[in-house]
Amino acid sequence: MRKIGKLDWAFSGGRIPFGSTGEEPEFNSHDKISVLNTSKEAAKIGIFIFYEDQAPVGTYEVEVEPKRLRKIRINDLIDPEAVALERNYGCYIRSNIPVVVQFSRMATGQQANGIMGSMAFPAD
Amino acid sequence: MSFKPGQIIALESEEQLCELVKKATSEGKKVRVAGAGHSSSPLVHTKDYLLSLKHFRGVEDPNLKTKRATVPAGMTVKEAGKDLYRYGLAMHNTGDVDVQTLAGAIGTGTHGTGKELPNLSAMLYGLRMINGKGEIVEINRENDPETMQALQVSMGSCGIFLKMRLQLEPAYQLYRKEYCVSFKDCMQNFEELKKNRNFDFYWYPRTDLCKIRIMNTDKERMPHIPYGSPELEREGPSHEILPRSRDLKFDEMEYVLPQEKAMECFYEVRKQVKEKWRRTVAWRLLIRSIKKDDALISPMSGRESVTISLHHNAGLRFWDYFKAIEPLFLKYGGRPHWGKKHTLKAGTLKELYPHWDRFQKIRKKFDPESTFLTPYMNELFNFEK
Repeated sequence: MRKIGKLDWAFSGGRIPFGSTGEEPEFNSHDKISVLNTSKEAAKIGIFIFYEDQAPVGTYEVEVEPKRLRKIRINDLIDPEAVALERNYGCYIRSNIPVVVQFSRMATGQQANGIMGSMAFPAD
Repeated sequence: MSFKPGQIIALESEEQLCELVKKATSEGKKVRVAGAGHSSSPLVHTKDYLLSLKHFRGVEDPNLKTKRATVPAGMTVKEAGKDLYRYGLAMHNTGDVDVQTLAGAIGTGTHGTGKELPNLSAMLYGLRMINGKGEIVEINRENDPETMQALQVSMGSCGIFLKMRLQLEPAYQLYRKEYCVSFKDCMQNFEELKKNRNFDFYWYPRTDLCKIRIMNTDKERMPHIPYGSPELEREGPSHEILPRSRDLKFDEMEYVLPQEKAMECFYEVRKQVKEKWRRTVAWRLLIRSIKKDDALISPMSGRESVTISLHHNAGLRFWDYFKAIEPLFLKYGGRPHWGKKHTLKAGTLKELYPHWDRFQKIRKKFDPESTFLTPYMNELFNFEK
């Protein structure tokens, strides 16, 4: 199977909702990226979080195994530091091999759940 | 945590150390011993003399019959564990982290987990140390048990530990398993899980999930956890299986609670974290069980205990979070871990320890000029000098 995707990805509309309703962790409001690696080698992913009022924070390091999909909740990133909820952020994602990155948000602050998804911007 | 001492000194002999303490005492200066820099409380901060005991290493006089060995005070928990294993001996328990000096871990009542396992200071059978007059003192549980109860957890306030004679166990294997489980399952099975030799769990504020961690010496005792998803399985010598290495930098507050009140406290802490703090806090809380001991100012002194620790990324604002939760710990009778963040001073601490005055009396006997009491230590103990 050939490698598909891009090395560099970004999105700018990050903001993890604070409020949640329903059982946890299934219905925790969250921002998430889904990384698809179609190649035969592991994808080493570096994530950088950008803010409106401070320098970027990173690298958050994640690995996606060969020919696998990995979903990463931004809420769960803690190293080098936790990403605050309800704070605007942008995100730059770089990989050592081409991958496909999709961004999604689930907001369950009200009982009527809201889910939004889009492709991250392929930057390279 | 960082500070600039007046002088950092790494002396090679006991005689040199004695001379330095005498000099400091005559100058009215303070002496503290640097550990490995793991503690997140300012126990060793001093503007005067900060000693490194890096030249004091190498296990001595191992005795398989009495299961004792002597560990010089410059060795880390990790180094001591490896060295003891060579002689067929092992510590009964250690914490998750093994980078601290063993002397520092003992002196602050540092612990691992296991309801039948006391903190690391319980291993201390005897001591060779330098008191505040610059004299070598040798003491053990047989020739002066009451004084040993004071020295066991004393944060270097009575003297400089040179060598520690430890009561150990024959080297042993451990089996370790970790599972991800729901909060509900963790709570429903908590008492049963505590029956394992070592058991603790993390609670994750942003998912309400738990990670349970179980260790036993007997593989047959390892439980099957049908309600959990396996995360890790290992086996090996205890000194390799007990610690879980990590490079993350964090600040930490930990309180030691009477076991009968601890889970009620945890429920209240969890509620507050979910309602108010998980906006900024993503780090897990750690809940451990520890057997009581008889050291005069050990946080586990006289009561079976459960600890709850809060973590936050180093570099983020941790005090707002820690200070908001700390009153809950105190409400349930919590005592702070001496080597971690807390805000208590002597007035409050004295109320938490029934043998406080006895400890202070013994401390003063060893250090009459308060050579080991820095301003921070003075706030803890409230000495006049």
